[in-house]
Amino acid sequence: MKGIPTVLITVSPEVSAQMRPPRALYPNGFKIGNSLGKPNMRELQVQVLRDALSLLTQNTRPGKIIKRDYPDYGEYHEPPRVKT
Amino acid sequence: MSFSRKCVPFTPFDGELAKSTVALVTAGGVHLKEQDGFNIADELGDLTYRIIPEDVNAGDLMVTHHHYDHSDADQDINVVFPIDALRALQQEGFIRGIARKHVGYMGYTMQLKAMYEGTAREIANEIDKGSRADVAVLTGG
Repeated sequence: MKGIPTVLITVSPEVSAQMRPPRALYPNGFKIGNSLGKPNMRELQVQVLRDALSLLTQNTRPGKIIKRDYPDYGEYHEPPRVKT
Repeated sequence: MSFSRKCVPFTPFDGELAKSTVALVTAGGVHLKEQDGFNIADELGDLTYRIIPEDVNAGDLMVTHHHYDHSDADQDINVVFPIDALRALQQEGFIRGIARKHVGYMGYTMQLKAMYEGTAREIANEIDKGSRADVAVLTGG
């Protein structure tokens, strides 16, 4: 098995970073349970998914989580912090 | 935690998205309504996973997970399992295809070693063999 190129969409970037994902997108301020946005906001969901897939073709550093803003989401939720 | 000391398991992607087939893997506790739900009574979590077919109707999916608020996913599963969003990207030609198999599991477990060495590998095998996926998108809750 040679492996499968993967990309993660996470709303808990600090927690996900501990797992060192190969590629990851954090939609800034999305709450847990809303990885792609809110219900029935299909355009937003498609945009988030498109951006996540696009990371596969970009020269991202393995393990780095890319943060993007999506103003259409209309809310900001603090992501959970990792206890130190 | 031992995970952070391992190398990043990075598989390069040298293809084109427009020629690629995509699989979804979610830790959000997504499964078909007709499948058994995940065992939320066990404090150790549930290490099993469910296969979700490519032609699934979003309305035939549900969430069994007790560690996040899935009320929005109950209204529209695409907020954690973007199958209709993926179909939209296929329609516009951004990706070529939808994988034959997708996977839902419950990303809550106290059995990290068994998840990492057992379930995760089984899921990877499901995607690698028989799903015809070129790439995978992972989501949490």
